[in-house]
Amino acid sequence: MTKITFIEADGTTFIATAEPGMSVMQVAVNAGIAAIAAECGGACACGTCHCYVAKDWADKIAPAQDDETDMLEFVIDPAETSRLSCQIEVTPDMDGIVINVPSSQT
Amino acid sequence: MNAPTFDPLSDNFARDPHTAYAMLRDLPEPYYYRDVDSWMLTKASDVEAVALNKTMLRNRDHLLSEAERKDAQRKMNWHDMPHHERFVQTNLLETEGEPHARLRKLVFREFTAAMIARQRDTIQAFVDHLLDGLKDRDAFDFVEDFAAHVPGHIIGRVIGVPDEDCPQLRIWSENIVGFFNVGCDDTDKHIAEQATKEFYEYLLTLVQARRKAPQEDLMSRMVEHRDAGHMSEDQLVATTMLILMAGHGSTIDVLGSGMHALLRFPDQHQKLRDDPALINLAVQEMFRFESPLPYFHRFATEDTEVGGRMFEAGTRFGVLYGAANRDPERFDMADQFDVTRSPNRHIAFGGGTHFCLGNHLARLDMDVIFTTLNDRFASIELVKEPTYKPGLSARGPFTLDIAVRRR
Repeated sequence: MTKITFIEADGTTFIATAEPGMSVMQVAVNAGIAAIAAECGGACACGTCHCYVAKDWADKIAPAQDDETDMLEFVIDPAETSRLSCQIEVTPDMDGIVINVPSSQT
Repeated sequence: MNAPTFDPLSDNFARDPHTAYAMLRDLPEPYYYRDVDSWMLTKASDVEAVALNKTMLRNRDHLLSEAERKDAQRKMNWHDMPHHERFVQTNLLETEGEPHARLRKLVFREFTAAMIARQRDTIQAFVDHLLDGLKDRDAFDFVEDFAAHVPGHIIGRVIGVPDEDCPQLRIWSENIVGFFNVGCDDTDKHIAEQATKEFYEYLLTLVQARRKAPQEDLMSRMVEHRDAGHMSEDQLVATTMLILMAGHGSTIDVLGSGMHALLRFPDQHQKLRDDPALINLAVQEMFRFESPLPYFHRFATEDTEVGGRMFEAGTRFGVLYGAANRDPERFDMADQFDVTRSPNRHIAFGGGTHFCLGNHLARLDMDVIFTTLNDRFASIELVKEPTYKPGLSARGPFTLDIAVRRR
């Protein structure tokens, strides 16, 4: 089990447990985090699962592929550590990762 | 297993498809609907799994031999329609893989939430103009006198079509989209082919005009992409045609069913009146409650388990978003219209790589329309129960007679 901490825009914090192989988006959806809309369901086709990976974690996870990088051009309020949570696969060494959630992507 | 009665062309189904959907959802495995040679998926988990499965394709023509493709085309009655084949059967929605990703990326930037937000003033001005034109009437048809004019006008503005041509574009669009429904005959086929031909000729003239004198519109940017070698001239026409078609009917339908839902559930309408900030949630609930495009299809390209049984490669599935969005396994009180529902993870915009490109525009049209109606009218009442369109492919009322009282 990998623990993931989600911090919503208003500061509310959720700690969720994830199985390896899930996407961070699926973990957020299961935790009921509405701001991760993930409207296309995880196909890198809508940009509504945008999140910010905490700075000290950003380099420790697999980098974005081209299709994710393309989509990140279009998200609301992009930042240096912006990622699409549907494209981040949970691995055991991500235990303790912190994900900041934007206010809304729709 | 007894085969249930499933007749999407019946009056009963048009009146209430959700009872039929519930019956199919309760079956132990997907229902085979012979008329379209498809296994109908109605549970949210099955619909989502198929929509997101990368081996399930909307179009598998590129995996077929030319003879197999022709055979499949004939089975759909999509043969002998040269313009339809060139601009509809091969458009972005019917494309997979690299060309789909390339074309979608070129147009996606035009439909992001930020780009679409720029249209708010245009939509507001047009909605105000239409309602000003109805100021002497206490009763009107919400669909044909009002709502049906909005989406086409706005998508026309986005693309760069002159306002006066928008009504014709709606006719062509409806004539083409109508042929996707179940139960179509050769007359519908002829109408769809003729509409595609005329639509193509119209768009070609617009392409030529923008090539000579570019403007600040989507068509001019499409011409730039074409001239930079990012797409062919046919892809330019087909993609623009698709955007125009998609920008018409389904938004009109969900505007009608959404208004009807507010009138059927006055407590929910009152909640929205009391707190107009609920509009985004209310619009999402309108899409869930009566999904305007309830039915799409996917082909399996590998042997795959769906809904507890194995299906062979080549199987065609009916993906019933309209049924999935009423699945009680996914939504609490699924048959209740609730403008405060959150999160509302409906799949009315589809899922996967073909996720609805224009979803932000449709939602913004609806946001402005319902907010403006509630501002202008102290009360809106249903005059007559509406008749909904028959068939599987579209869900919305033909007309919606309402009576209004101004503030």
